This record gives sequence, C-alpha cells and structure tokens, in this order.
Amino acid sequence: MNTSSNGYVMGFAIGICVVISAMLAVTANFLKPTQDAAAEFDRQKNVMMAAGLVAADDQRSRTALEKLYRDRVEELVVDTETGSVAAGKTVADVGAMKSPADKRRYRVVAISKAADGAPESYVVPISGKGLWSTIYGYLALERDLVHVRGVTFYKHGETPGLGGECENPVWCAQWKGKSILDEQGKLVGVIVKKTKIDPSIPAEKAHKVDGLSGSTITSNGITRFVKADLTAFEKYLASLRTQQNK
Amino acid sequence: MTTATINPPPAVAKPGLFGAEEIKAIKDPLWDNNPIAFQVLGICSSLAVTTRLDKALVMGIGVTLVTALSNVLISSIRTFIPNKIRIIVQLVVVSGVVIVFDQFLRAYMFDLSKQLSVFVGLIITNCIVMGRLEAYAMQNPPWRSFLDGIGNGLGYMWILAVVGLIREVFGSGKLLGMQVVPQALYDAGYVNNGLMVLAPGAFILLGIIVWVQRAISGYVEK
Repeated sequence: MNTSSNGYVMGFAIGICVVISAMLAVTANFLKPTQDAAAEFDRQKNVMMAAGLVAADDQRSRTALEKLYRDRVEELVVDTETGSVAAGKTVADVGAMKSPADKRRYRVVAISKAADGAPESYVVPISGKGLWSTIYGYLALERDLVHVRGVTFYKHGETPGLGGECENPVWCAQWKGKSILDEQGKLVGVIVKKTKIDPSIPAEKAHKVDGLSGSTITSNGITRFVKADLTAFEKYLASLRTQQNK
Repeated sequence: MTTATINPPPAVAKPGLFGAEEIKAIKDPLWDNNPIAFQVLGICSSLAVTTRLDKALVMGIGVTLVTALSNVLISSIRTFIPNKIRIIVQLVVVSGVVIVFDQFLRAYMFDLSKQLSVFVGLIITNCIVMGRLEAYAMQNPPWRSFLDGIGNGLGYMWILAVVGLIREVFGSGKLLGMQVVPQALYDAGYVNNGLMVLAPGAFILLGIIVWVQRAISGYVEK
C-alpha cells in the first residue's frame, strides 16, 4: 500500500482522530459520577477548612470527614434581597437554578456548629474572576459576623506558583482575624494589598492582607469579589448581628 | 533444478518473552541510559512536582503508564503510520493517553490531581515520551516497546522519587505527609530548609544526582 499518498494520509489522520476521541468520550462519561462526587467532597472539606473544623492536611478518612460535615454543618438558602432565610427553597433548588438573576438572589450559606449545636461560624461562598479563570472559595466569619475566621480557595485556573498561590494555606492564614466592617460599621471586605501590609497602620492591620507577588490581577480580583459577595450577604448578616445584640 | 540447492533460510531464534533484547530494553534506561541523568530529558516536571514524595511517585507512575501505553499503541500501528505525519500521530496518541490518566486521577485521587495541576497535562510535552516513540517504538515490535516504555518510566520515576524524598524530608520535615523530623529537634533550634521547597533547591539536587550517577556509571562526554 502506498502510505505516502495524500488520500491515505488524510484517511489515516481522520481515522486516528475518530478513534482517540471515541476513547476520550467513553472515559469521560464513565468517570463523570465519580469525579463529581470527589469534587463535592472537596467542596465540603473546604467549607470545614474555612470554618476551622479540619486542617488542610487532615489525615482522617473521607467517610469520617463526610460524617463530620453532616453532623456539624448546616446549609441554608438565603434570599439576599430580603436578607432572610428563604423558606421552602432547598440547596438542591439553588443548584438547579438557571437564570443568573435567581442565582444572584438565592445563595447558600453554611453554618458550622460547635459540638453542642450552637452556631460557631458562618461560611459564605465567594467567587469571581481572577486573571485566567473564575476563582471559587469560602469565607468563614466568626460568631460576631464581623471578624474573619478563615478562608479557602479551592477551585481556580490561575498560574501555578503565582496566582495559584491563593490556595496556599500560609497565605490564607493571614485572613484570620481581619474585620470586614470598619469602625463606622460600613462594609469594607478584606483587601488584598499590593506588596506587604504595614501592621503599624491600624486600617491596614484590620482590613488588609499581603498581596500575592506576581499576581496583581488575581489579587485585585479577589478583593473585588470578596467585597461584592459580602455586600450581597450583608442584609442577612446585619439581621443576624441585630438579633445577637438584642 | 536449482531450487533444491538453496539452503533453507537461517532459523531465526524465536525470541522469548524476556530475551537479551527485552532485558536490555527495560534495564538500560534504569541506569546506563537513564532519561534524566544521562539524556537530561524531562527536567521541567522533575523540578515542579518533587516537593513531596507522593506527588513525585504519582507523576512517575503517570509517565511510566503513558510511555508504556503509547509505545505499545504506536508500535502496533507503526507500519501503517504515514511517515509525513508520524510526529503528529504520535502526539495525538500521547495526548489521548495522558487525558485518560488525568481523568482517572480526578476521579480517584482528587487532592493529588489538584496539586499536580497542569503538570499531568504537561506529560504530553515530556520529551521522554515523544523521544521513546520516535527512537524506539517506530522501529520495534509492541512487546519490546512496552518494556522500553516501562523501563524509561521507572528510570524517570526513581530519580524523581529520590529528589522528592530529600526535598520533603529536609524542606518540610515530613515523609508522605507524616512528620519524620522529631519535635525535639525543632525545639533544639533546627529549622526546615526553605530552599528545598522551591524550584532552585530541586535544580541543585538534580545536578548533584546527575553528577553522582555519571561518576558511578562512567559517562564520558563524546
């Protein structure tokens, strides 16, 4: 057979592409449920990491951690327009929502509880654009709903070693104790500063964290979407604060 | 009749499953012709994924499987591949195999797949894989190519494992995620070596390993 004729070359190229694509399609479809379950577990683990229930290098088994999540974390749907818990809407309903307006309005908040059942921390999902990708994370607030208890970023496509460092636990650890409200009670969020913060300036110490070097756009993106998402939840958070102060 | 006088063709010794050629295919890349230490291929990934031993091992297993599998595939269709487009055909096969491996990692080792991030995908561009296809699988039968792939993958893996082991122990005081440097040592003033966690540390280690390996194996610059 003349294997260098144009017809043969074309035929061979098409043939090999079809065979390999079929192989990939079958594998992807076959593994999809397992992958989704693994991603969901990773999400739950990150909620617990933000809330301080588990450490990043926790050695416990997946079943044990899944049980911990069921026992200690409760997920609620919040109607961000009214600032109250949306009665009759389940987390699954929110997952199935298609329209962007609905998705913005109804958001899921996770409440982690101490062993005796009292709320320990409020975990809000945060997400938004970095440089290359949408970054997903969780921001956990202390019981006072003002101070940050922890933060994690678990899904992103930023450059490894630069913007990808947003998932570095050492960097995330700085967020702990920052205040999302200023002295007047106005929402400021947490600001990722370009360069290192100066702890001698009270405003920087209270609201800012060190920038990620080499990733200004990722850092700015994080600052922006953390504030936007907190703003969306603010009505709900403020109502909880007044309840607590009563 | 002249045909009667023609000698029967010399009996070709039917090669066993592990003849001299086969042993050579698998043993050579482990030491004498090591892809990293001797050919200095695949350096990029050996710097990037060796901060921890488990990452290094999974990456090593990945490269071994990919090299072996794509060697077999290419070798079995080598007579049909048009010479004009052989490189791109190799690339298609390698990419396919790598993506399948990546999908399995995502399903069953989600944490590790997140940490290996882009480097699993980058196995596609690892020169070891393409190098073996072009240099070996295009000329040799599938079984021997398979062994050659396994050999090269393992040759890559053991160097990665050594680098990963040293970096994890000295860089973070752990081994496979378990603390191995006792707390008492930290109390006595010992600190982890920060250089080991960063890429330059891996570069220096790799240089030393290449040097030691070449000193022992008697490499001569041609």
